[in-house]
Amino acid sequence: MTKTDSQSGVQMAILASRIDAIARKMANTLFRTARSGVLNSGHDFSCVVLTADCRLIAGAVSLPAHVMAGPDEIARYVSEMHPVLKRGDAFLHNSPYHGNSHAADHCLVVPVIDDEGIHRYTVLAKAHQADCGNSKPTTYIGDAEDVYQEGALIFPAVQIQSDYKDIGDVIRMCQARIRVPDIWWGDYLASLGAVRIGEHELLNLGKEVGWEKLAQHVEDWFDYSERRITAAIGRLNSGTAIVSSMHDPFPGAPDGIPVDVKVTVDAVAGRIEVDLRDNPDCLPCGLNLTEGTSRSAALVGIFNALGDHTIPANAGSFRRLTVHLRENCVVGIPRHPFSCSVATTNLADRVASPVQVAIAQISPGFGMAEGGPIFPPAGGVISGRDPRRDNTVYVNQVHLGITGGPATPHQDGWLTLIHVGNAGLCRHDCVEVDELSYPITVWERRILTDTAGAGKFRGAPSVRVEFGPAEGASLKVFYNADGMINAAQGAVGGLSGAPTGALKRMEDGSLEAQPACTGVALSAKERIISISSGGGGYGQPAERDEALVVGDVREGYFSREKAAELFGVILGEDGGVDRTATDNARRALLA
Amino acid sequence: MGIRMSCDTGGTFTDLAVATDHEIRIFKSLTTPHDPGEGILNAITLAAEHFGQDRADLLARVHSFMHATTRSLNAVLTGNVAKTVFLTTKGHPDVLVIREGGRSDPFNYSVPYPSPYIPRAQTFEIDERIGPDGAIIEALNEASVCDALAKAKSIGAEAIGVCLMWSISNGAHEQRIGQLIEEVLPGVPYTLSHELNPTLREYRRASAACMDASLKPTMQTYLGNLKSRLTGAGFKGRLLMVTSQGGVMDADAVVGSPIHALNSGPAMAPVAGRFYAKRDAKSQIAIVADTGGTSYDVSIVRNGRIPRTKETWIGQPFQGHMTGFPSVDVTSVGAGGGSIAWVDEGGLLHVGPQSAGSTPGPVSYGRGGSLPTVTDCAVILGYLDPRFFLGGKMVLDLENARKALDVNVASKLGVSVEEAALAVMALTTEKMVGAIEEISVNQGVDASSAALIGGGGAGGLNAVAVGQRLGCRSVLVPETGATLSAVGALMSDLYGEFTMIRYMSSAGFDAVAAADVIAELKGRCQTFIDTYGQGAVSTSIEIAVEARYPKQVWEIEIAVPDEDLSKAEALAQLVQAFHAEHRTLFQISDDQSGIEIIAWRAYVRCKLQNEAEHQPIVVETAEHDLRRPIYLAGKGWTEVDVRRFDEMTPGEALAGPAIVESAVTTVVIDPGATAQRSAGGGLVVQL
Repeated sequence: MTKTDSQSGVQMAILASRIDAIARKMANTLFRTARSGVLNSGHDFSCVVLTADCRLIAGAVSLPAHVMAGPDEIARYVSEMHPVLKRGDAFLHNSPYHGNSHAADHCLVVPVIDDEGIHRYTVLAKAHQADCGNSKPTTYIGDAEDVYQEGALIFPAVQIQSDYKDIGDVIRMCQARIRVPDIWWGDYLASLGAVRIGEHELLNLGKEVGWEKLAQHVEDWFDYSERRITAAIGRLNSGTAIVSSMHDPFPGAPDGIPVDVKVTVDAVAGRIEVDLRDNPDCLPCGLNLTEGTSRSAALVGIFNALGDHTIPANAGSFRRLTVHLRENCVVGIPRHPFSCSVATTNLADRVASPVQVAIAQISPGFGMAEGGPIFPPAGGVISGRDPRRDNTVYVNQVHLGITGGPATPHQDGWLTLIHVGNAGLCRHDCVEVDELSYPITVWERRILTDTAGAGKFRGAPSVRVEFGPAEGASLKVFYNADGMINAAQGAVGGLSGAPTGALKRMEDGSLEAQPACTGVALSAKERIISISSGGGGYGQPAERDEALVVGDVREGYFSREKAAELFGVILGEDGGVDRTATDNARRALLA
Repeated sequence: MGIRMSCDTGGTFTDLAVATDHEIRIFKSLTTPHDPGEGILNAITLAAEHFGQDRADLLARVHSFMHATTRSLNAVLTGNVAKTVFLTTKGHPDVLVIREGGRSDPFNYSVPYPSPYIPRAQTFEIDERIGPDGAIIEALNEASVCDALAKAKSIGAEAIGVCLMWSISNGAHEQRIGQLIEEVLPGVPYTLSHELNPTLREYRRASAACMDASLKPTMQTYLGNLKSRLTGAGFKGRLLMVTSQGGVMDADAVVGSPIHALNSGPAMAPVAGRFYAKRDAKSQIAIVADTGGTSYDVSIVRNGRIPRTKETWIGQPFQGHMTGFPSVDVTSVGAGGGSIAWVDEGGLLHVGPQSAGSTPGPVSYGRGGSLPTVTDCAVILGYLDPRFFLGGKMVLDLENARKALDVNVASKLGVSVEEAALAVMALTTEKMVGAIEEISVNQGVDASSAALIGGGGAGGLNAVAVGQRLGCRSVLVPETGATLSAVGALMSDLYGEFTMIRYMSSAGFDAVAAADVIAELKGRCQTFIDTYGQGAVSTSIEIAVEARYPKQVWEIEIAVPDEDLSKAEALAQLVQAFHAEHRTLFQISDDQSGIEIIAWRAYVRCKLQNEAEHQPIVVETAEHDLRRPIYLAGKGWTEVDVRRFDEMTPGEALAGPAIVESAVTTVVIDPGATAQRSAGGGLVVQL
């Protein structure tokens, strides 16, 4: 390394931390001031900084599905539609056909313009809305045949502020077509606060450091990130693997949706390619991915598989990764007017998970198992009227209990991961906060025994959540569940996690199975039961550390019977290990 | 007047501050982890020697002894606590397992999912259910309680934490369970969540209740022993414990709810910082930074108040435990004197988060450390004089520090050892700035209007650099910078707080109910004063609310400007105060909106000493050179002035580059900055 390189290395560490801090400041503002539960409890938002030519620099504490790809395309589209960007501009964007994730994610995009009028950077805040004007009270319409049936207001790079002042026309449109206009307005203010703080901080940074020097640093930072990922890829085996996954049958796809993922690792050249082109055309349902979520999902799978979280995820490291997409493909580039209402979760996981498994196949010791498919009703959008508040309308997504963490080569699955797309950064709701905010009662939230995918490292177990309307209220729950049939697969000898479940408890206590994609109306004495899917296991269960199996039995994650059957660990009456029986059983399992 | 003592038992040193009629003196002794009382008595012996008195005679004159310890925190972090059972509402056995979800780093799958504070196998469900409004949805099934207690007994439970859904709205079920525990398992300590910490969010309440219960046996023994040791050595006064809220409480009260003392260490620095900011920097806004061996703790003083948070993690965020218990808002980063510098495979320099701690410590300590630390870099750059560290009590090994930095950093970066050391200091400064920016954003404080107070043994090394980088008004290094906590304890008030949950919106305000709540809270405060307030020079009660805009979920605390809320203007004043605070914290407010009040809180303070009477602090000084070379960015080795704290007369200006030292602190005055000693004794640096 030359001396110039190393000195810029020192500067780089400092400036990288400052740009990262700016993204964090943006995120903190949004989290603390938002009005809707999905933001201020669920943390379902992202804040990023991009170069003026639309390359991702930093997205601290952002959801990977939101930011790995997408913000770059959005910023490019804004620049194309608005060739002259001025200080004080802000743009509202949520178009799935122009880089966004799904229509429910409203992005605010602000160009950072220096005192000479030069566009230096772009900041973007993306926040999942309580409601986006869909035809039904949910932000995910799984059975929408097209964007018209979906019904969301679509804003393709629509200017919402000029000279730091709101453009009232756009505000009024939103307030006229969004079910909870006050909450939308509060969340808009929160997002605006975030991007304006980001803008302010970047202007200060540029003034202090000098714009040219800062730009050079960013290039150095990209180069550094590229070196890091090249080294990490160099530790893998070279090879190609095709892994197939299958989304459960769904409206518009009665036989399910097969997804084939072809992954090629070239360790010598330090490159990874993911090919998603050999997959079905767009389908008449809301599951079609957008270009942003297709690409993000593949990139998430790769970053999860490399096993080194210290590699910066930015445009520099992405140079070593190629994702091949096809136009009019269900996991590619959507063709208008196919609906992408559920583009961040279901099929996105059917891309990310197989990528992780493929890399595990190519390079055992890397990769991960499949994460549990989502979304069970406990992650659904609830709506109704609140008798405690003059029967006002409420609608919001809840995060009451979704687990699904896949096992990795070194750790058990993260219990509250939800899915790899938000990587557990979204929070779980407090029962008391939800019961205070909405007229619901949460009767149960319990981890289920024998539901984790067994393995040397096990997946996260399932959680069962039972909830219903509070006294005098009614409740509708919309959800789009995958994994009732096709559960999370294990990797490198690991076993599958338990499937997703949705049941309705009728007034007489009897249970009625519910379909994968629906809106369940619950009367006063009815409840919904949600079972999240378990994460897949990694490695042979019989190789799992005996003490961990004993702990799992003591803590109720596995029964004694399954400990014996799957792991070959035989426990005596006192809870201790039966040495001889265990040794024999484990040998037999591994034979 | 008698003597007051305060003692801060840290990981490496036990600091003792002794306040006599006319001065405060500081003593340091090594911490004795196997028997912390021994370290405390050793420090007292040092004090007795200094005063030329018999230890028993000295102790007999001490009327109050304030103590801060990391003992309960360490017990929680290591799980070395009583075997505790958790009783929860039926259907919700996994409150402590699921927690509130969340994760800090999307691609870091190397961290295991945290174990619950109480294992699932020690968690038992109780048949009952209360609703948000306090209505009983399902009555308490006492048989299920007795069943759970029988199981608790059979597994040898030593403590019990009880947290039921919505006990904050109706505590009857928890109270009945408390009675049953006393009947069935007499003598087993227990904690009821609604009594300890009446806050919304079941995970935090459960976590606090279980933690508190689990500490009761440990802290009872610890404080019992300490009291008898001190008494045995001649102490006849009052033993007070420092609390996480930045006050002190009688030790006996802490035995009753030991969670109060959990985060006592970092809570004291801002109490001292508030005093120094006012005395020396004439600033109402201060950023108080305490540099330790492994971490850099930052807190804020805003208009004379020390902001608190209910979101302090015990351990790492999302991996440790959260109690929802109010404590002084402190942001910590892994950047201390012991933080290790290293270079990754992409050629990027890092400082921390690994730390050499006190064992093996920095390379230059010569106690087995082999990886270069921030302290080693300060030695290499000439900031620390190897011969006069800790007043010459420890000689630092410059040569080995240079070798370690060369091998691990300089050669990998392709720069000289000095340039590498400068880079490490610069990056450390940047991490510290990051921590300060985080908390100042959270607290809505503009760093350019604040004074930065640099505390901790290594605090002066880059306090000026941090202040310059932030554009602070000034930097202040108190004469007692190295022992901010112990000095802070001497300045703190006897303190209690009480909370009641009563939902109320400004639109549908119920003035009668509000008056009842305030009266009830004040009654509790008065009982506190009657019980503990003897010997106080003054007492005060303050009423505040936790409020938010409709549909927000993170409340902010607002002092109630006028307690007679039956007057329309008093309510309007409160709403206005909320808008203003929201603007301060988040830059925006929604002035047309009403507010929702979630909780009501009363603070009671009994001042143990008038602020004006804080004595000057005497610090021993050591021999040293008048000039020595230090290595400066862009200039290389440069001879600079080296002054002693005590020889600088107030008003005399010292322009950087220069060094100001005492036995316990070294302050680097960077080029462009000017230092003056204040009349009070601290060092004020204009940037």
